[in-house]
Amino acid sequence: MAKRISRRDFLRGSAAGAALVAMTGLTGAVASAESEGTKDLVVSLSSSPSKLDPIHYTGTYEGQIIGEVCDRLIEYNDSLDEYVPSLAASWEVSEDGLTYVFQIRDDVYFQTGTYQDGRQMTVDDIVYSLNRSAEYSDNNRLSMLDYAEATGDWEVTCHLTAANSAFMTALTDAGNSIVPEEEVEGWGDDFGFHLIGTGPFYMTEFALDEYASLTANKSYWLKEPNLDTLTFRFITDTSQSANAVLTGEVDIATDLTGEAANTVTSSGTEDISLMQVEQLKIDYIRLNTTTGPTADINVRKALIMAVDWDAVVSALYPYGDAVRAYEPVPRGSWGYDSELEELVLPYDPEGAKELLTEAGYPDGFSITFYVSNTAIRQTLATVLQAYWAEVGVDCEVNISEWGTFSDYAASGTADVYGMSWTWYPDPYFFLNNLFASYNIGSNGNGANYSDPEVDDLLDKAAAATDQDERAEYYKEAMKIAMEAYSGSYYATTILTYAVNNRVTDFAQRADGTLRFVTEEHNVSVE
Amino acid sequence: MLKTVLKRILQCIPTVFIVVTFTFILTRMIPGNPAATILGPQASAEDIAAMEIKLGLDKPVWEQYVNYILDVLHGDFGTSYMYNQPVLRLIAERIPKTLQLTVTALVIAVILGVAIGMFSALHQYSILDYLFMILALIGVSMPVFWLGLMVVKVFAVDLGWFPATGRGGPELLDMIRHMVLPCLCLATIPMATFARITRSSMLETINSDSIKALRARGIKERSVIMKHAFKNALPPIVTVLGLQIASCFTGAILTENIFAWPGMGTMIVNAITNRDYTLIQGTVLFFAIVFVLVNLAVDLVYMLINPKVSYEGGSK
Repeated sequence: MAKRISRRDFLRGSAAGAALVAMTGLTGAVASAESEGTKDLVVSLSSSPSKLDPIHYTGTYEGQIIGEVCDRLIEYNDSLDEYVPSLAASWEVSEDGLTYVFQIRDDVYFQTGTYQDGRQMTVDDIVYSLNRSAEYSDNNRLSMLDYAEATGDWEVTCHLTAANSAFMTALTDAGNSIVPEEEVEGWGDDFGFHLIGTGPFYMTEFALDEYASLTANKSYWLKEPNLDTLTFRFITDTSQSANAVLTGEVDIATDLTGEAANTVTSSGTEDISLMQVEQLKIDYIRLNTTTGPTADINVRKALIMAVDWDAVVSALYPYGDAVRAYEPVPRGSWGYDSELEELVLPYDPEGAKELLTEAGYPDGFSITFYVSNTAIRQTLATVLQAYWAEVGVDCEVNISEWGTFSDYAASGTADVYGMSWTWYPDPYFFLNNLFASYNIGSNGNGANYSDPEVDDLLDKAAAATDQDERAEYYKEAMKIAMEAYSGSYYATTILTYAVNNRVTDFAQRADGTLRFVTEEHNVSVE
Repeated sequence: MLKTVLKRILQCIPTVFIVVTFTFILTRMIPGNPAATILGPQASAEDIAAMEIKLGLDKPVWEQYVNYILDVLHGDFGTSYMYNQPVLRLIAERIPKTLQLTVTALVIAVILGVAIGMFSALHQYSILDYLFMILALIGVSMPVFWLGLMVVKVFAVDLGWFPATGRGGPELLDMIRHMVLPCLCLATIPMATFARITRSSMLETINSDSIKALRARGIKERSVIMKHAFKNALPPIVTVLGLQIASCFTGAILTENIFAWPGMGTMIVNAITNRDYTLIQGTVLFFAIVFVLVNLAVDLVYMLINPKVSYEGGSK
């Protein structure tokens, strides 16, 4: 026999239950970095980091946190054209480019952790961290390293599998940070949540999808950080990052879209400034050089000439959050050569039609254009479809999710595909990816571009150790590659931060890395 | 009664099993390779192949399915490869944070919504009745993400009363300040729904013969309304409450993302963006269980508030 519960009892019971559940939520309180009289900086990241073990990180936003907690052997300077010493005080490269010898600083200590008490960093830690990355890095961030070994009390020698100047660039990556073995082995899979390094800040708390709280490492070997705490907050909606900087919840909002930046400027506030720099990024389309109508260079030239690329850039980035690009390396790279800009074809639909007739397509043809499903790429597809229709080319658009798109692009069967590329400032990471014949079969060279002369120049550039010499090889390779018109490299996006004016001595870098304590800068707040 | 309850619980098992299977199939049907998505544009074909082996995606789909079912039966929802943590631990950490928003929003929605609905019913065709019902109509029709950005614009950016993002804390007051805007956002739609359903259900009972008879017997109006009319009007409200609990959770997915609130919603969106199969499966399974339990609870509450309702042809 069921006992009857009166309505009042029922309501009372439900209210108590609800209150209980609400309280459970409330007691799960989290710590906040805010407190009186200390110098606290809050920075928003536009994606939510989850993997902070250097060998497992995959997103640049994760690299930002690792970058502050840990140090690397060397760093880039702010203008990204020179390596500066970090844990390595100096280095020498062998004639054949196969061996790198680093002299390691002897005054560096790890942050105190659970499995070591803040002991001195030694050459063994460098050897351990580099070999670990070479073997286990999810993104193969040190694949050119054969092995590293200690060759003196404070000397480490790195042996490469083949001469490759990109090795130095790779060393600046957060993925090749120096970490203590005891902590890595002690925490195992959880090391990322208890990241320890030698950097200017140590991690006090890492709350997934919420924030990472960092506290200044007052005995940092380079200099004492001006800040007391540094908090990274994860705000995936960039309009909300803009709002958070307007309300003062965040001091630096990173990676704002044009629309979000517009929110900040249109608010008319004088407390917040925008910082903008051209990114190390190229938006491009690639045209298949081996199959279909585009195998004919005249067809490729015609398709490029049929499009008013200046207008395309304005259409895709209505808030001015990108500028016109011309070459397959971004202007921020030391490999950029403004003289090659003249190779870019002018907008000339009539000329395009003539070229098509010459190539035997007076009535045009049909092609398929592949893009991933982001809004900007989809707009690009629509715009190009219209331009090409003007010269009689019927373009079918294939839009798919990144993984599928990437497979199409890599297969080398796509007539035309559109994507973007961003990496380190070294031209190696752009030119080898786009033009080396060994990259046919990857999404970088889905155009199947192959030229033995270019391959040879790229190999020479990678093997050379002198930057001026390398730049010469790259310029020559780029010229030959550009004259084959296997693509149009039309835009470079602008990296926009909104920064509260109380932040001092902060410098923006074109590669998007955030650095708060460097040889050149020591960020503070007023 | 106990037998009925047990039967209802047993009926839930096939439902959950079907959900598990469908989720597994659907996640496999999302286009794109999770390994490629995780590693990003710069990954080489070898990196991707290595990651596939690490994730167990190199095995045949049926084998993945059998392994998954066996693990779930052993209470192991798997490990999220994005967060590198057990799915159950991740869910357990997020649930209180999501409940903090949804329960608060629902309590506000029920109290205000029912009160407004009652008022409107008792003052049918008054100016306030019209006003409330127009507002309710707007409330029901408003998309959560738009409402979210608007309240932030007005109350956080322009007026500066409340913070725009985050969960705040550890002080209770700071946390409550952070809760105001997301809760307001999340409560609006259910509140409007409750107001509308309460009004119509109340009007129906007030005009019924039984209520007229009570009035004719001279029973106090207050007693007629609260003791008799409201009680009879309750069943549809409880049904809607069940539905609203469900939609409040889905609303939380959008709301949490807008307000950078670290709950289940934010986690699900990240899981989908990163093709974190195990985490998607785990959270969907978890939600399925929650929905089944909410439905069960609604059915049981029905029996309590209206003993005439019986699910097994007269077990009462």
